[in-house]
Amino acid sequence: MRHPVVFLLLGALFGFVLSRAGATDPQIVAQLFLFQNVHLLWVILVAVIVGGIGTQVMKRRQIAALGETSPIQFEGKPWTKGLVVGALLFGVGWGLTGVCPGTATTMIGEGKFFVLFTLVGVLAGTWLNGWWRSRKGG
Amino acid sequence: MTETLLWLPWIAGTAIGAYMLLQYWLTNTPLGCSSVFGNVCARTGSNLSYFQGENFAQKTDWRIWFALGTPIGGLIAALTSPGPWLASLSMGSLYDQMLPANTLLKALWLFVGGLLIGFGARAAGGCTSGHTILGVSLLNRASIVASACFFVAAVITVQTMALFSGMQA
Repeated sequence: MRHPVVFLLLGALFGFVLSRAGATDPQIVAQLFLFQNVHLLWVILVAVIVGGIGTQVMKRRQIAALGETSPIQFEGKPWTKGLVVGALLFGVGWGLTGVCPGTATTMIGEGKFFVLFTLVGVLAGTWLNGWWRSRKGG
Repeated sequence: MTETLLWLPWIAGTAIGAYMLLQYWLTNTPLGCSSVFGNVCARTGSNLSYFQGENFAQKTDWRIWFALGTPIGGLIAALTSPGPWLASLSMGSLYDQMLPANTLLKALWLFVGGLLIGFGARAAGGCTSGHTILGVSLLNRASIVASACFFVAAVITVQTMALFSGMQA
């Protein structure tokens, strides 16, 4: 079911859940990194446990996606050369702004408009990475 | 800033984990929130080979629809919360204390932070959704390392910001 409307609804559902989780509140994000409030750490931990059990069950039962016949392939992301440096840069940006890509777009709907500056940066940073790769001949 | 209703951590965590499984089951696509910016680069005329490659092919443009859905979810979450929906540039007291008070400097700060997020997410191959929620669920080695790096760098950054703004961390 790869209809645009399905993805629009899924995006809305995910945004709603992120908001209810407190992930779209930079105050709660800052408190996590200052070890003042570990609310979000519990959220992430439980999400990973539920996701881990769920994907294992779906793998073992060879569950296919709706309307498809072959089982879902749960593929892990590959190890790449720039992974550690890239992840560290991402973390610095996360700390500087209190947002990550998923919460950033969600926050527009919540009226947290400071995030627009960050979003322009994310788009520019993404482009910069593409340019950087082409410069290196990759 | 809009104050939204919060669920208990274990309820919210269960919802996020279940959401990821639902997206897989309905659409056979992995959860992720940062690749979409590459799709936007590709569709707005970037001729760079990275964006014209397979990673951002037109069949992956579903990411754009997904991203467009997220603010709708944010709006519904805000409107179904007890407090009013407020348009504001405030980020809550902690960040407002740590960031420059001057709006132009604050905008520049947030832009630079965004640059690092965008560049870093592509270099790392994902963000807190694809690596930390999905990748760690799969016990994928690259995602576990990436997630650890996300957290370590963010903790050091915010602790340093708190230190320089004279806050007691």
